[in-house]
Amino acid sequence: MMSDYIVEMKHITKRFPGIVANDDVSIGIKKGEIFALLGENGAGKSTLMSILCGMYEPDEGEIYIRGEKVQISSPNHAANLNIGMVHQHFKLVEDYTITENIILGVEPISKFAGLFPYVGIRNANRKIEELSKNFGLEVDPTKRIADLTVSMQQRVEILKVLYREAEILIFDEPTAVLTPQEIDFLLGIIEGLRNSGKTIILITHKLEEIKKVADRCAVLNKGKLIDVLDVKTTSTNLMAQLMIGREVSFESEKAPAQFKEEVLKVEQLTVKNEDGFEVVKDVSFTIRSGEIFAIAGVADNGQVEIADAIAGLVKASGGNIFLNGQDITNDSIRNRTESGISYVPEDRQRFGLFLDFDVATNLASKQYYKEPFSNKGILNKQEFDQFGSQLIDKYDIRSGQGIKTQVRSMSGGNQQKAIIAREIELQSPLMIFVQPTRGVDIGAIENIHKMIIEQRDQGKAILLVSLELDEIMNVADTIGVIYNGQFQKIASSESLTTNEVGEYMMGAKHE
Amino acid sequence: MDTIIIDGLSFALPLFIMAIGGIYSEKSGITNLALEGFQGFGAFIGAMSAVLIANASGAAIEDMFYVALLFAMIGGMGFSIIHAVLSIKFKANQVISGVVINILALALTTFLTTQINALVFGAASDKFRLGVSERFTIDGLANIPVIGAVFTNVYPFQVIIIVIAIFAWYVLYKTKFGLRLRASGENPQSVDAAGVSVSKIRFSAVLISGLLSGLAGMCFAYSISAQFSSGIYMGYGFLAIAALIFGNWRILPTLGACLLFGFAKSGGMFIAQSMALPSSFTDLFMILPYVVTLLLLIFFSKSNRAPRALGEIYDKGKR
Amino acid sequence: MSKDKKKTSLRYRLIWPLRNEKWQPISIPVASILVSFIAAAIIILLLGKNPFQAFYNLFQGAGILPKPTYAGYKSMLTDFLQLLNAMTPMVFASLAVAVALRAGLFNIGVSGQMLASGFLATIIVGYSGLDAFIAKPLVLLVGMVAGGLMGGLVGWLKYKFNIHEVVTTIMLNYISQYVISFFIHMYYIDPISRQSKYITEAARLTLVNVEIANMKMNIPLGFILAIAIAVFIKFLMDKTVVGFEIKAVGSNRNAAKYTGIKVGSNTVLAMVISGGLAGLAGVTYYLGYFGSIQPKVLTNIGFDSIAVALLGNAHPVGIIFSSFLISIIDQGSTYMSSQAGIRQEIASVIIGLILLFSACSAYVKYKVSRLKDKEVDRKDSES
Repeated sequence: MMSDYIVEMKHITKRFPGIVANDDVSIGIKKGEIFALLGENGAGKSTLMSILCGMYEPDEGEIYIRGEKVQISSPNHAANLNIGMVHQHFKLVEDYTITENIILGVEPISKFAGLFPYVGIRNANRKIEELSKNFGLEVDPTKRIADLTVSMQQRVEILKVLYREAEILIFDEPTAVLTPQEIDFLLGIIEGLRNSGKTIILITHKLEEIKKVADRCAVLNKGKLIDVLDVKTTSTNLMAQLMIGREVSFESEKAPAQFKEEVLKVEQLTVKNEDGFEVVKDVSFTIRSGEIFAIAGVADNGQVEIADAIAGLVKASGGNIFLNGQDITNDSIRNRTESGISYVPEDRQRFGLFLDFDVATNLASKQYYKEPFSNKGILNKQEFDQFGSQLIDKYDIRSGQGIKTQVRSMSGGNQQKAIIAREIELQSPLMIFVQPTRGVDIGAIENIHKMIIEQRDQGKAILLVSLELDEIMNVADTIGVIYNGQFQKIASSESLTTNEVGEYMMGAKHE
Repeated sequence: MDTIIIDGLSFALPLFIMAIGGIYSEKSGITNLALEGFQGFGAFIGAMSAVLIANASGAAIEDMFYVALLFAMIGGMGFSIIHAVLSIKFKANQVISGVVINILALALTTFLTTQINALVFGAASDKFRLGVSERFTIDGLANIPVIGAVFTNVYPFQVIIIVIAIFAWYVLYKTKFGLRLRASGENPQSVDAAGVSVSKIRFSAVLISGLLSGLAGMCFAYSISAQFSSGIYMGYGFLAIAALIFGNWRILPTLGACLLFGFAKSGGMFIAQSMALPSSFTDLFMILPYVVTLLLLIFFSKSNRAPRALGEIYDKGKR
Repeated sequence: MSKDKKKTSLRYRLIWPLRNEKWQPISIPVASILVSFIAAAIIILLLGKNPFQAFYNLFQGAGILPKPTYAGYKSMLTDFLQLLNAMTPMVFASLAVAVALRAGLFNIGVSGQMLASGFLATIIVGYSGLDAFIAKPLVLLVGMVAGGLMGGLVGWLKYKFNIHEVVTTIMLNYISQYVISFFIHMYYIDPISRQSKYITEAARLTLVNVEIANMKMNIPLGFILAIAIAVFIKFLMDKTVVGFEIKAVGSNRNAAKYTGIKVGSNTVLAMVISGGLAGLAGVTYYLGYFGSIQPKVLTNIGFDSIAVALLGNAHPVGIIFSSFLISIIDQGSTYMSSQAGIRQEIASVIIGLILLFSACSAYVKYKVSRLKDKEVDRKDSES
């Protein structure tokens, strides 16, 4: 009997050391529908789809494609079954052109003098140009990836899958780094793909997207399938409840801001990158005590460089930075920390932590050189341990072996907690948070937002850099929208709508 | 002048082919300090085969050159499996693996050379005598002033190297294997996502570096040193690495670097000889390539860019 | 299925010293040493010799076990002191590698740094005729400063121009080798030995042919210093702010910078310390173990020390043990060769194998932890 499902996954179980990522999950997807997979980080959505793409093999369970039982052993095999995945983290070679990236692995071969095979780039260029026009994804195939914007890079990822003639397309959190306008465009493309007969699986934790485009939606929680819903007849609230397992408020509760004296003043700041290109141009703003100033913008528009320049990680090539009225433009990183800057960096594993050191050492890593952690250059290990245990309790940092746990073995959420704990304990008048909730689950996000607001209420000045517009709209008192290294708009958060911010983010609108 | 060009070329070309091996390995993402060991071990296998076969067949050792070359390539490739297994399968630190392989190559070949000499020839010798490969001169072209030297007293291996180098260039930049190999060194995840095995690509890249190094080692043994002994570990492998870094991991600029080293070396020797300086002055001129490398790196290292994923252990299971 | 379970379980128990993370720093090197000796034994068997005899001779030659007969004025103690004499530069050189490793740097230039500092100490102090009390400390000082400067140069080039230290150290190895060969040939050559002229006894760090209780022995003064310095380095790395910063830079350069640590100056500092230690290795080698320098030859100690440091987990105490072992193999090989009729070169093959297997340690750790996970899973599913 032919089933009416194009993809069926039955009783899938997948275990990783320590966790069960998928626990007896069964779903069926119809041809030509948009099927959403909803769940928090760590709910098992990505694992389930990685199994479908042949990146993992399930420990138990069966997969049927077009009614036939299959064992998908590799991404190649998945591609042969016309399954393709648009990855959340783009898998692109920056130095290669769009064409080279798309054909990698399925290179068309021409022959020179009928003897020497070579990669037929020119034909591929033509084919890709055609393909991109057909689906409304226009690109110039000869451009290098390094020169493309984030949303253009995503187009390349989509084209990669289409080039391999995929019929079943999996989108993994495709909107995470896009502006509202780009999101609308993308959702339009996805609908267009469905209308041309493709089957779409959309992994996301954003309810409004599901509401907008999806036909049906499966909710996962902690590896288990909770329910499969018809999107048209289900309320967003119910979906949210099922996803999290309890009711949550997305709006952070926040007392009205009370701004006091000016803490940070940035004047005509200019920052150049390694190639001497100005990534921050002539930027000026101030942050007062009790204020959360958020920088909104699409990735790579200079926002991280502003944070780095204030903290001293990159040099300002022009302009001045004042902290509490003191010019710190040329101070060392350590001096800035001493004069009162805490910094939660974007990349916690590359910058925030020493993964091979234990928790206690990491928690003290900004104070080790001072009393009581050391005296005349000799370390006092007891002090490290005591301080560590204290913070682990206070901030509820979960670690397997207490203060001696190697940070590498901790979960992302707990690593982030450790960094935030360390930075709050510095008691700095200025706190910088760059993408503080990236890759942590919803419960932890709530918690982190609460902590940021708490710090504000204690009179700290806070600089928040985030790519998540929701986060900015929820938490910020003042929003600065950056595009191409320049502020397009600085205004109080009440006076701006999400859509307006989105337009400024794309540079479509400016003062 | 002619000797500078002739000697410079005969030194630069083996160096160049070894550096190409290094480029293959490093472009695929595997740091390769083991070139020195590969070339030594390759030369050992080649020399041993030549000596044994010549002994068995009664042929002159000088005529065994092509046989030796073939075996040297096999030997170098065989030995490079250790580096491939250690750094790809065993996920060992690639620098450490390289250093260890160099130590092991020196120890093994020295031991085996004396052992084989004692067993087969009953002589307590730590070297295999090879002699110098024959040379040829292209009559017409050799008479052109200055450039003519390029066609004078040419070792056959120089021609072989040029042919292989062109082929290596074509494979690296024009074929799908090359496209995948270079992508493995820049962003292995992308290769993996495209359904191509990163490990297999890197494995073959390391084996190619072993093969080409073995070839180079044999050329050195049949020209400059005229024998195989532990003296083959003169650091040419490291010089090849310097050349490829200097050439920014690209084949043509690397050729330039190798030629520079070659002419610096032969030029230095020539000056020392023509000024009739005591022989110890040649030592002073020997440092030329190294000093030149250091100085040039100081000026050019800013614009140099190593493959992005070079030396990083690729873990497919990483989520 | 249950049989299979038993098998993994048995395998699990057999490797208990390897699976315990606390013991891994010791058990993995010991395992690689054992495996290498087994491999060497097989080679020796293939050559038709008795491996146990050979290994026994090896230890006899190194002064660990007594030889049946001794020449006049010689005893096991003589051999043992000679072992310590040879081990001294090895300890210093391996410490040099280890300190650099902790800072995330590969000092492949230990040999060059040894040669340069040994040469400078030789020409400045070795031929000076100074009194022993001044000459010996001065030799150490010159060695340390010369090595430190050379190491510092490498660190500075890395920090300032971003030139990889592996390249710089290799280049400097050749440059020092040739330049020093030139100077020795020009000014300091001993025409008979074809080496540099012997230094004065006063400047020598090993007391040669001291007569005690009718025995003539070489007393390596540097050895005591080597142990003391090893202890000091352990203290420096584990207990001080300086050590903390060096380790932080080695563990994660970006995070170190973010924390406010000066990555550049710590890179230079680590290389100065590393070079200084290499300098001490140089003077204890050229002005202790030997009394002269052979031109145009770089000692293998500089390269072996990388592996010795690796075998000792880049830990000072581990290094003392691993250099002891490697020195035994080195020193005992001559006697083994004469007694068992096996070529002396097999010693370096054994060393090479030990290094090869210890380079696999990361894989062993990984495999063992995988096995552990499986075991935990199994227990979980059973309960």
